[in-house]
Amino acid sequence: MKAKLLMAAILLCSVICVLALSGCKKTAAVVAPDAAFGSYDTESDWNDSAKLVKLGYRESQGKRVFYQYCVWCHADASPAGPSNRSNVTPVPPLMNDGEKLNGESDEYMQNIITLGGSALGKSAMMPPYGKTLSPEEIKAVIAFTRAIAQPAYQKPGRQGSQYTAK
Amino acid sequence: MPAEEMGKLSERLRLTFAVSTVVCVLVLAISPLKDFRAEWKQYKRSFVKFAQGRPDTKKLLADYSPNIDQVWLPGMNVTDRCTTCHQGITQSSLADASVPQPFRAHPPIPHNVRDWGCTVCHRGQGPATEVAEAHETTLAWEKPILPAHYLQASCGSCHQSDIKETPQVARGRELLTHLNCQACHKLNNLDRASLGPDLSSVGYKVSREWIYKWLKEPRTVLDKDGNVTVNGYETEDEPRMPKFRLKEEEIKALSGFLSTQKAKPIETYKISPAIVAAWSKKPDLASQGEVRFRQMMCTTCHSLAVTRAGETKMIGGEIGPELTKVGSKVNEEWLVSWLRNPNSYLEHSNMPRYGWSDEDLYKVSQYVMNKLTDSDLLTNVPQLGAATDEDVKTGKRLFSEKGCASCHSLNGAGTQKDFGPDLTALGAKNASELEFGKAKIDRNLVSYIQAKLQDPVAVNPAARMPQYSWNQADLDAVTTALLSQSGPAQTSALQHLVVPKKDASFQAVGAFAGVYERYKCYACHRFNGYGGTLAPDLSYEGSRAQKKWIADFLKNPQTIRPTLILRMPQFNMSDKDAGIAAEYLSMAVQKPEVDPESVDARQFTPAMVSMGKQLYEVKYQCQACHTIGSSGGYVGPNLNNAGNWLTPAWIEAWLRNPQALQPDTIEPRRTFTNEEIPALTAYLMTQRVGIKPQTTKSAADAQAVSRGAGR
Repeated sequence: MKAKLLMAAILLCSVICVLALSGCKKTAAVVAPDAAFGSYDTESDWNDSAKLVKLGYRESQGKRVFYQYCVWCHADASPAGPSNRSNVTPVPPLMNDGEKLNGESDEYMQNIITLGGSALGKSAMMPPYGKTLSPEEIKAVIAFTRAIAQPAYQKPGRQGSQYTAK
Repeated sequence: MPAEEMGKLSERLRLTFAVSTVVCVLVLAISPLKDFRAEWKQYKRSFVKFAQGRPDTKKLLADYSPNIDQVWLPGMNVTDRCTTCHQGITQSSLADASVPQPFRAHPPIPHNVRDWGCTVCHRGQGPATEVAEAHETTLAWEKPILPAHYLQASCGSCHQSDIKETPQVARGRELLTHLNCQACHKLNNLDRASLGPDLSSVGYKVSREWIYKWLKEPRTVLDKDGNVTVNGYETEDEPRMPKFRLKEEEIKALSGFLSTQKAKPIETYKISPAIVAAWSKKPDLASQGEVRFRQMMCTTCHSLAVTRAGETKMIGGEIGPELTKVGSKVNEEWLVSWLRNPNSYLEHSNMPRYGWSDEDLYKVSQYVMNKLTDSDLLTNVPQLGAATDEDVKTGKRLFSEKGCASCHSLNGAGTQKDFGPDLTALGAKNASELEFGKAKIDRNLVSYIQAKLQDPVAVNPAARMPQYSWNQADLDAVTTALLSQSGPAQTSALQHLVVPKKDASFQAVGAFAGVYERYKCYACHRFNGYGGTLAPDLSYEGSRAQKKWIADFLKNPQTIRPTLILRMPQFNMSDKDAGIAAEYLSMAVQKPEVDPESVDARQFTPAMVSMGKQLYEVKYQCQACHTIGSSGGYVGPNLNNAGNWLTPAWIEAWLRNPQALQPDTIEPRRTFTNEEIPALTAYLMTQRVGIKPQTTKSAADAQAVSRGAGR
């Protein structure tokens, strides 16, 4: 009798515990994801148009600046059709050329875009954009370059991924 | 009751009391345990752990408190506890993508997160303290987070004029305007759309059979890959006439009704019989007509399907309708009349009134009628004959019932208003306010809008909205623009944040007004913010270009920008019209800071010219983008004729600060010295070529044909 009652009490307790702890866990309607859904913007991979590169806010601002200012000489085709690359010597790198650009630091990229080629001992055909674009816009272009780089860009030095949160 | 029994009872009572006490204590203990294990507290603790593993622990934890963090902006209706878990959003050292969420820094944006809160842009439930409640739709919380892909909608809610940072909203608004969604729906912050053609006299233009075909299949179909095609040719643009769901007898009645619309007889014109006799027998009549068609740059506004190397593409502009099969659509008498004076048939048309010789008119109209055709176009159309009274009566009723009257006016009646629902507050609706019907879609606003756009009947079987066929990018852009239609601001503080749309207008005056209206300059060019964006902004043309050059250019436009295929049409403008336009443009539309008289070209010395040449070719290597002679780049305009084209005052001002003259120009602003600027100007002013329209004509012909079709 006593044991039975105790058992019942313990059972009751555990039921209450489970109920209370599981609390009000709700299952929420999750929006069906498509490739682009969760990213601010996308860019198709230049070497494989079926592949989409996801872009965050900064990279997508870089994409906008790129397609306005840089695309003429740093891509194979421009909004008007043919690329101006062949008219420029030495031939400028494609903006997704990871082999050439992954090795350059963000600081170097920032400098050459801001000050132009001649200030860094490179071709004067690369004009300075420091008075036309804001530093943030130039950083955004660099971020876009890193995002579309082939082979993929690896951030130098310490990797953040060793830190794990929850 | 015997004492023995009493003792037994009290023992049982005691046991019950003990057990219930234990239960009670346990239940009470659950509460602090639950509180300790609360989701947000776990994030709080793991952030501390995370910060301790970073070199800048002290900075990361400077503002740390173990309690709920909150951004409270009463005037803006913001109570956001998002920063309770998103603790690193203002920490610049946590910007890298490798930092795990929810601790990553917010990307740098023009607004400070602390001044704006989070939900103003991202939506979601600001006061919630659980992940699911904050981000998703639950029973009690109605506003889910806006997916990042549509986030620009929030920018568009306040920025009612387009800003460069939000191209997706701008594209969506452009589509809403282009497709004339405002004809049926109330929408805010859009440009005024152009209407569909007035159909008062359409009976003179096309046959009943053609109308039948057009209503049944507005030549717009989706191919098996879901691409939009017009006339079977793939296009990037959604054609403006959508497909209506009409029954066979409805199409018959509507086509009958419309074919009887003959309000105003067309102005017929008889091409000189001598010209017809001379040309009609020539075997190259149509190809000569094509040459003129290309030279006049009809393709700047109209597109044609062109096959190149086995691949067929739509090539040409989007201002006017595509013309691939127009020869099977209109009758010849109408075409000749239309080409001579478009506004006599259609008052609101943006088609310029070209100056036509009979020879040109005959050649071009013969080319259009005989080459831009499709003999199969009307194959499956039944012989309909003349419309019966019954057809006309039913057709008239259907014309307003089906919404035709929203875009097309008839006999001066104007268009019918508010045929579809008001969408000005659509973007702020909660899921519970939407009618999902039987549609098998997620119960949220984004899915609802996209389902409605793609297949209106699937959501509401009684929907009157016609069928559009979107590509994914356009669908997303229109969705974003609709989400930005978020209704009136909830609080007065929010009202003050709205950046209103600027309405631009431009009134041409004097003799120029007639020229401006005849050639529809505003269809492509912009004047003080008003007009098209296809061609250069002419607001400061008087400061930029020399008067004689303007007159010469209008009479015989040359390509200034080498990569452009869409070029200024050859209007066959009279000397008088060209003179009036040149006079007006050079005198009346100037930038006050750039007085063309302020720099005198006579002060330039040969020494300056040679210094300028050095600067151009060696120090600054301008040839990367500009062409002089036969070499150079084609990003910027060709400068071979700069000395005849530009005013020295403009060149100097441009070299100082191009963006001050044209804010969106891609020419970077440089730091030229005060000696370099006049030297470069002096050099550019020596670049002159004579334009002799008559002698270069045949060469231009060949060039126009070879270039006209290739983009």
